[in-house]
Amino acid sequence: MPVKKRTPWLEALYAALPLCLSYIPVGLACGMLLQKAGFNILLTALLSMLVFSGGAQFLVVSMISVHASFVSTILMVFFLELRYALLGSSLSQFFKKEKRSFIALFSQSMNDENYAVNYLKYSTDPEWNRKKALYVNWFSMASWTGSTVLGTIFGSVIHVDTELVHFALTAMFIFMFMMQLSNGLLLATGLLSGGLAVIFMLVFKNTFGLILATLLASFTGYLIERIRKTANTKDDGPDHYDLTGGEVHHE
Amino acid sequence: MSDTSLLLLIFCLFGASYLPRLFPMLYFSQRQVPQWFSDWMKYVPISLFAALVFKDVFISENHFDLIGNVRIIAMFLVSGVAYKTRSMAISVITGLAAVFLLSMI
Repeated sequence: MPVKKRTPWLEALYAALPLCLSYIPVGLACGMLLQKAGFNILLTALLSMLVFSGGAQFLVVSMISVHASFVSTILMVFFLELRYALLGSSLSQFFKKEKRSFIALFSQSMNDENYAVNYLKYSTDPEWNRKKALYVNWFSMASWTGSTVLGTIFGSVIHVDTELVHFALTAMFIFMFMMQLSNGLLLATGLLSGGLAVIFMLVFKNTFGLILATLLASFTGYLIERIRKTANTKDDGPDHYDLTGGEVHHE
Repeated sequence: MSDTSLLLLIFCLFGASYLPRLFPMLYFSQRQVPQWFSDWMKYVPISLFAALVFKDVFISENHFDLIGNVRIIAMFLVSGVAYKTRSMAISVITGLAAVFLLSMI
């Protein structure tokens, strides 16, 4: 098939299709859980379009199920979505010439997965442009919203074991954890955070424990990285120039 | 929760998820990303995911749950599958199947 002949939306659909398909089972599970948490079809659709983040939507379910406070739920989602600050600033290098209004529109529908598609396309395909990028976002949002709405419908007609489906969310967080895992320090930070989270949850019996664990652990990871960096620049002679990663410089 | 309070929650969540998407992208399309910020941000997602996973796996009804907890085995299974396949869908399906089958034993 001649690639040049394809219209922008078709090219975007082609790029977004694997992603759209992978959203279906996850969206169905998320929709079922939302239904159990009290969401109707309209509310599910609204949440999926306005928040458009699998992690955040699963998190909302889990917070509602433990009767977390309003503020606690919003703060947790805010911390979860803080990673978009990183994704957004890394994608912003391709938007130096775009209008503010385009960035405002584009960022609303950006999430982890379509970020990955667009980042790859922008860095490898010279023909990739804002129109195709926005289409990728919207196709993935359509697939996600459709799947969660279907899940909400299924949830109300068929019986699902809530505790079982709840593990869909845990599995998704495990997946996201594994995708972040690229060196030993990140693993150590994660394990520290997990351990602290369990302790804080047992002690405070409040979801603020999760926020506290996240802040403490991420800050510890950042500090260790800084200390390592300064130790490297202080101790290493000119013949140690090949020590770049955390992996090489273990204690 | 009532529909009205859920609606209110959705609008607040929209703010909580739109602001971190919008401002850094707007700001950094004009400027350089400061080093300390991107260094710290590297550790935020993994810490949060770990906190959520550990809470889900090791705590049931405010108690530490270790003996006969099938979710621990499922957690290791999903981690392996996620690492190997790098597919969200396969990981989620594996997790559901693992908990379902393990809890029948």
